[in-house]
Amino acid sequence: MRTPNEIDGPLETPVRFVFPQWSNALLPAVIVMMLVAPIYAALVLTYGLSPVTHNVGYMPTQPIPFSHKIHAGELGLDCRYCHNTVEDAAKAAIPPTQTCMTCHAQVQTQSEALKPLWESYSEGTAIRWQRVHDLPDFVYFNHSAHVERGVGCASCHGRIDQMDVVFQSESLSMGWCLECHRDPEPNLRPLDQVTNLAFDPLVDQSAEARRGLLEGLRITPSEGCSTCHR
Amino acid sequence: MSNLPKPILFALLGTVVVALIPPVLIVRMRTTKHSLPRIHWIQDMDNQGRFRAQHANPMFADGRAMRQPVAGTVARGELRADTHYNHGVVAQAWATTFPRQTRVTPDLLARGQERFVIYCTPCHGASGYGDGLVNQRALAVMGDPTRSKGTSWVEPKSIHDSDILAQPVGQLFNTITNGVRTMGSYESRINVHDRWAIIAYIRELQKREASASADTRGVDRADRKRVGEPDNQNEARQS
Repeated sequence: MRTPNEIDGPLETPVRFVFPQWSNALLPAVIVMMLVAPIYAALVLTYGLSPVTHNVGYMPTQPIPFSHKIHAGELGLDCRYCHNTVEDAAKAAIPPTQTCMTCHAQVQTQSEALKPLWESYSEGTAIRWQRVHDLPDFVYFNHSAHVERGVGCASCHGRIDQMDVVFQSESLSMGWCLECHRDPEPNLRPLDQVTNLAFDPLVDQSAEARRGLLEGLRITPSEGCSTCHR
Repeated sequence: MSNLPKPILFALLGTVVVALIPPVLIVRMRTTKHSLPRIHWIQDMDNQGRFRAQHANPMFADGRAMRQPVAGTVARGELRADTHYNHGVVAQAWATTFPRQTRVTPDLLARGQERFVIYCTPCHGASGYGDGLVNQRALAVMGDPTRSKGTSWVEPKSIHDSDILAQPVGQLFNTITNGVRTMGSYESRINVHDRWAIIAYIRELQKREASASADTRGVDRADRKRVGEPDNQNEARQS
């Protein structure tokens, strides 16, 4: 039979752990970190997960370098010249190749940049335009309901007439939608100014005019879930 | 801090540097344009396995999710048996009157003006002289060898030319529907009712021009445009 001492080995004087001298300098660093870390985490999460950070500024490369700045800006084409379904349908359709050909059957026909257009026209294939503004599939949005009630194109799409390459200028998040559904007045404009991208609803008309639109068009946007999630 | 052992010091500095990466990325995302696909942290059902309008569908030979009607079929309400209303043709001749579906009222004229401004003004100009912004730019492009790139632009007609004035409304309707010479078809963009509304407004413009040019008769179109009298008057009246 063995004694406990034989099992555990001979008793030794335990070595006491002593924090080294330099660890004193760490104390302020630890305090600062404990104070800063929660604020840091909150800020990084808030801004890092924000739809503004992820969605605004999305500017996909298009198969043809079509410039809205030239067509909608300098040539003054109304949005509806090409996106002609916007007043009647949920979707503001991407124009068919035929629409481009209204002019480009004659204008710059030899242009290198327009080659995909001619390919599409002669072969009947679709041009793969990249969608810039894309809501999640579980969201129902109807363009006609908005443009027929005094919400301008620019309110959601920004100054398209100044963009050479179109990018997303608003977050299109649910909170952003609700902001306007709760208080639509600042975004209302006369119906004949809906496609006027330069018209600023807050600057170019009086507050009375906006209230008049709110009442005249009887605008009572719903905030119920099933309005958009149907 | 200077008496810290090297590894500890580097670990601290490293932490600070690593902690700076997310804010820098966030600032960069918020201040620049980016073409990479958007990141959705929580996917939910953002992208569902269904095909929506104008989506691509690899199952079909043409790659389109939207299908054409089966050949030989007519959708409800799309028969278009009324040739006067749908084609501007009465007894195999151009209609000279408006169809009964479109009575020329102030409302129709207002609608016509709005549609004219959207679809016709780019080439034909606000007053219809054929001096729209697209025409001006196309001519400028054609005249510039570096930008021309094969441009062969034919100037749009003035709606006040005598041969256009002589055309019956049915022929104008056909022009908008199917295009003529270098003008393209607007059938898919302007519905039948709106085409008639535009024609009603064109007739109105022609009448205005006829009365406005009563005192400037004999001055040709180019001169009038340079002086800018009838043009400006018409534009002022519209706005």
